[in-house]
Amino acid sequence: MAAARASLSRVVPGGLALIVGLTACGPPPADASSLLTKSSERMLHLKGFHFQMQITGFTGTGEPVQSAQGDAHPPDLQARVNLKEGAILLEVEVAFAASNIYLKSFTGGWQQLTEDQVAQFFDARTLFDPQAGLFAAMRDTTSPARGNGEKVDGHDTYPVDGQVSAARMHQLLTLIRDQGTYRATYWIDSADSNLWRARLTGNLFDASNSATITFDFSNHDHPVSVTPPPLG
Amino acid sequence: MITPFRSPRLRSVNRPALLALTGAGLFLASLDAYVVVTALLPMLKSVDIAANRPEQATPIITGFLLGYLAVMPVAGGLSDRFGRLRLFAGCLALFAFGSLLTATAPSLSQLVAGRVLQGAGGGALVPAVLALAADLYPAGDRSPVLGAVSALQEIGSVLGPLWGGLITASSFGWTWIFWINIPVAALLFWALWPEIRVRAEPRRPANLDWLGALLATAGLTLLTLALYAANPERSPVGEGFFWQLPLAIVCFALFVWHERRTAHPLINVRRFRDSSFSGSALTNAIAGGGLMVALVYIPVLANAVFSMNASSAALLLFRLMLGIPIGALLGGFAAQRLRSYRFVAALGLILAAVGFLMLSGWNEGSLQPHLLGLPLRLADGELFLTGLGLGIEIAPVSAALLDAVGEAERGAGAAFLIIMRLIGMLVGFSLVAGFALWEFHQATAHLLPPLPGLNPNFATQFAIYTLRVKQAIFDEYHLIFRATAIALAIGAVIAAGTLRPLPRPRWQ
Repeated sequence: MAAARASLSRVVPGGLALIVGLTACGPPPADASSLLTKSSERMLHLKGFHFQMQITGFTGTGEPVQSAQGDAHPPDLQARVNLKEGAILLEVEVAFAASNIYLKSFTGGWQQLTEDQVAQFFDARTLFDPQAGLFAAMRDTTSPARGNGEKVDGHDTYPVDGQVSAARMHQLLTLIRDQGTYRATYWIDSADSNLWRARLTGNLFDASNSATITFDFSNHDHPVSVTPPPLG
Repeated sequence: MITPFRSPRLRSVNRPALLALTGAGLFLASLDAYVVVTALLPMLKSVDIAANRPEQATPIITGFLLGYLAVMPVAGGLSDRFGRLRLFAGCLALFAFGSLLTATAPSLSQLVAGRVLQGAGGGALVPAVLALAADLYPAGDRSPVLGAVSALQEIGSVLGPLWGGLITASSFGWTWIFWINIPVAALLFWALWPEIRVRAEPRRPANLDWLGALLATAGLTLLTLALYAANPERSPVGEGFFWQLPLAIVCFALFVWHERRTAHPLINVRRFRDSSFSGSALTNAIAGGGLMVALVYIPVLANAVFSMNASSAALLLFRLMLGIPIGALLGGFAAQRLRSYRFVAALGLILAAVGFLMLSGWNEGSLQPHLLGLPLRLADGELFLTGLGLGIEIAPVSAALLDAVGEAERGAGAAFLIIMRLIGMLVGFSLVAGFALWEFHQATAHLLPPLPGLNPNFATQFAIYTLRVKQAIFDEYHLIFRATAIALAIGAVIAAGTLRPLPRPRWQ
């Protein structure tokens, strides 16, 4: 009787621990391809989001942008862009609204730009274009592999590593070289498939020097409405 | 504030060595007070802030001053309680930690936090080292030592911008201005450790006016926030100006009310009834504001319009900084000879005002022609004159205030002088920065840059546009320098109307 009680006292806590452990584990995380597909779909259909883009490493003289941040509901978007000018940065504001493009430089008010003019400068619309942009490129990422869970800005995410073709990334930003492949990493929310961070690494702007573009996202699905700014 | 008391043990130590080591720490911290003025643009770039958003650089400068001001009133009392060397070591560690945060800052918020901690650590070193010097030397022998400690601090401040400019322009880059503090602080800590660890140093409970310090710091912080124009396109002051300013005034009123009642006040506010005391305090603050304007805007003007690098900008500023110690010596000598504080102080402030007026006439060619074929420019003389004037007023204004407080409160009076100067720097700079940027945005609100593409005259139009922007920058600086000249002239009137003549020497 004593032996049975002793055995029971070992089995019950052990069983409880097993049940608690299994409950805590939850369903197994989705595989890397599914995470990318779901997240791509999610991001393409948001009512709006906030983004930050940072370019680090070797960018040469041809690439004028160091960083950009703003709110988007593609194709509409408003952002502050930091341009490199020698040893300093200069900030300009851009707005893409109702198929028109607007620029506010460091003096004066808003001006409307033509397509040609914006192509010479920085066409931020392509970053989140439904066909050519980052979220579409997620689906075209090859050899995806999921890493262990990581916290990004306090959110539980899974990093997914993969390769994207340079030609595909060249569509995203025309200054990116279109030869070879680049490494892409996406940090995807395990609960709702929100993309919190994306990083693109490789010899993006020069054949022998590495650079990185990092995107950070927040305010997922917060409605964004960009109205044409007053000119002048 | 500074309550010297003698420790029997400290008398037995190697006094020159102890003072040299602590003085080196003070020098290190004072170097960093204005070191950033010649490194601002690369600092901003490294935290991804554009040069055409200079308002975001304001907290990098005001943060240090605010940290410095927050700790100074209580540092003397803390050194009474915990021991001079322990407080020194703790503050040096805080300064080094602030340097680490600044050097490694990936964002503006960390950069500002680092500067605030640097200021807090550095600010507390001043009363700690002055009080240590007072402990180590008896009353009769103390003056030269206290003078040397004060001189170290002044020399550090003067050399700071040059030091910052040279390191920034070198291959090391601006972060080394701050990295270098860490091994030097560690070395000083190691050298002082045998003295720091000894627990024999007697302590006595210090009467710290924490509430007074809290109210004063809260008032100053609110005032700084109220004046900080985070968006100068829209407003020359902060967005919370209309609630922050009244709240700051309430804090200052409560501070005065509390100081009148407490047994151990930070400042004997009744002294303000004495016109010589309040006049010299106000004059000192105005001169501090003038100095800060020169320290910040001359290197930035050199960068923005004359396309100078950090070291060239620092060398340009050095012409002004060189005038300050020379002026300080001349001012002390002249006040003694002429037996007049008011005349010499007013003369110094008028000279500085004239200097700023001359600076307000600068244009693109001001740094070009050499004077009479010599490697000198008129601008060099104008800068030196401005510094000379700012230096001349130091001794008579300081002496007038110290005379007004009398022997018993001389330590507190000396600390109050530093505090008033820093308040002038903080408030003057915050005010000028916001209004000047607002004025620039008003002037260029309709100046549209030409766009490339289909524009056949783009090159010509862009050249004209660049000239107009430069002119707008010059106009902004002319306004800043003229406003400073007016403030200094008002300071001269205050000094002439309030400072008492020199007292007769006691031995007569």
